[in-house]
Amino acid sequence: MYTHLQQEILELRDLVLKMATRVKDALGMTIDAFSKMDANLAQEIIAGDDRINELEVRIDKTCLKLLALEAPVAKDLRFIIGCMRASIDLERMGDETANVAQATIVLSLKPILPFYSRLETMGQRSKTMLEKAIEAFFAPDPDLALNVCKMDCNVNELYSKIIKEIIEYMYNETPAIERSVYCINIARRFERISDLATNIAESAVFISRGINIKHYCQFDNRS
Amino acid sequence: MEHKKKIQVKDLDFFYGENQVLYNINLDIPEKKVTALIGPSGCGKSTFLRCLNRMNDLIPGIKVRGKIILDGQDIYDTGVDVVKLRSKVGMVFQKPNPFPKSIFENVAYGFRIKGIKDKDFIDERVKTSLRMAGLWEEVHDRLSSSALGLSGGQQQRLCIARAVAVEPEVLLMDEPASALDPIATKKIEELIYELKKEFTIVIVTHNMQQAARVADYTAFFLMGKLIEFDKTENIFTSPRKKETEDYITGRFG
Repeated sequence: MYTHLQQEILELRDLVLKMATRVKDALGMTIDAFSKMDANLAQEIIAGDDRINELEVRIDKTCLKLLALEAPVAKDLRFIIGCMRASIDLERMGDETANVAQATIVLSLKPILPFYSRLETMGQRSKTMLEKAIEAFFAPDPDLALNVCKMDCNVNELYSKIIKEIIEYMYNETPAIERSVYCINIARRFERISDLATNIAESAVFISRGINIKHYCQFDNRS
Repeated sequence: MEHKKKIQVKDLDFFYGENQVLYNINLDIPEKKVTALIGPSGCGKSTFLRCLNRMNDLIPGIKVRGKIILDGQDIYDTGVDVVKLRSKVGMVFQKPNPFPKSIFENVAYGFRIKGIKDKDFIDERVKTSLRMAGLWEEVHDRLSSSALGLSGGQQQRLCIARAVAVEPEVLLMDEPASALDPIATKKIEELIYELKKEFTIVIVTHNMQQAARVADYTAFFLMGKLIEFDKTENIFTSPRKKETEDYITGRFG
C-alpha cells in the first residue's frame, strides 16, 4: 500500500515525465524543422513552448507543497529535489528548441549552407543524450547517467569543430555572414541542450545514490 | 568520528530475564554533541538510553554484557558509585516530573540531598540553571510558588534546570517534548541546541523531524540492533542501509 506521500510523489513523477516527453518531442521536431527548413513546423515548436512552461510551474508548485507539508527525507527528498532541478533544466531546453526554431524560420528563406548537415548531427547527438538522460532519471540508472555525462565531451568537441568550420567559411563567403551567425547560434543552442541533458543525468545519480557528481563526472563516496 | 568520544559502547548485550533486547551494540557518543536515538517502538532505544546511566539497574532480573566506557571508566565495573554516575549522567523523562515543591526547591534539590548548605552558592546555581533552561525570565519573580502551577512546557524546562543544576557532563533525554505543544517543543529544541555547548546530549525521540532538527548524530535501532549510526545529515539525506531508509520514509513494515 502506498502512503499519502508516495502517492503524491508518483503524481510528481508523472508530471516530470510528461514535461520530459514534451521537451524530447520538441527537440525532435526542431531537428526535423531545421533539416527540412520547414518554417511551419518551426512555428509550431515556438507555439508549443508555453505547454512546457506551464508544466514547469505545476512541478515547482507541487515540489514546494511536498517540501512544506510532508517534510520528506532520504530518497523521497532526493527525488523531489531532483525533480525541481530537472524541471528547470527541461524548461531551459524548451527555450533552446524555440530559439533554434526561430533561427530556422529566418534561415528557411535563404539557400542552405554546407555545414547544415553537421549541425543536424549535433542536434541528433544532443537528442540522444536527452533521451538517455530521461531514461536514467526515471529508471533510475546511475551507470547510464554517467555515460550521458561522458557523452557531453563528444558534443563539445563537435561544437568546437563546427564553430571553426563556420568561421573559416565566413572569411570566404561574406554574403553568407548573417546565415553563418545564425548557425553559430544554433550550434551553441544544441551544445547547451547537451549540457542540460548532462545536468538531468547528474540529478539521476543524485536521486539514486545521494551523491553529487557535478563537474567531475564520476562516482565517489559521500561528496 | 571527527569529535572526541565521551562514551564508548562496546559489544553491549542487554536482557530482561531470558529476553534479549539489545544485541552487540557498538557506538561512540561524541562529546558536546547531540546524538538522537530513533527507531520503532520496542526497538530497544529507550533501554539503551537507560543503560547509559544504569537506570535499568532498578529493574529486577536484568543482565548486561559488554562495556559502556565513560571518560575511560566502564560504568558497569564493580565499585562504580551509581549515585555519582547518575549525577554525572543526568536524565530528563518523557513526562515532566517536578517534585511537589517550590520552583526554587526543585532546582536546589540536588544540593539539598548532597548536604550542601551554602546559601549563596545554591542561589547562584539555581539562577544559572534556570537561565540555562531558558526559564529564568518566566519564573524569577515567583521562585517560591509551587512547580506544579507551571505549564507542561515550563515544567519540562524546570526538570531540565534541575538536571543541569548538579552540573552533569551527559544529559539523557527520553522523548522530552512528546507531551508538549509545538511552541513548548520549539523552546525545548532551542534549549537542546544551547545546552550542547556545555553537555553531551543523548535524546530518544519518535519525532523524526525533531531528530533531524536537533541532533548532530543519529543512531537507528531496529529489533534491538544498531542498524546505522552517522551524521544526522547523512541519515536523513542518504542513509546507507535500506532498513534506515524504509523507516525514515515511512515504508517500514
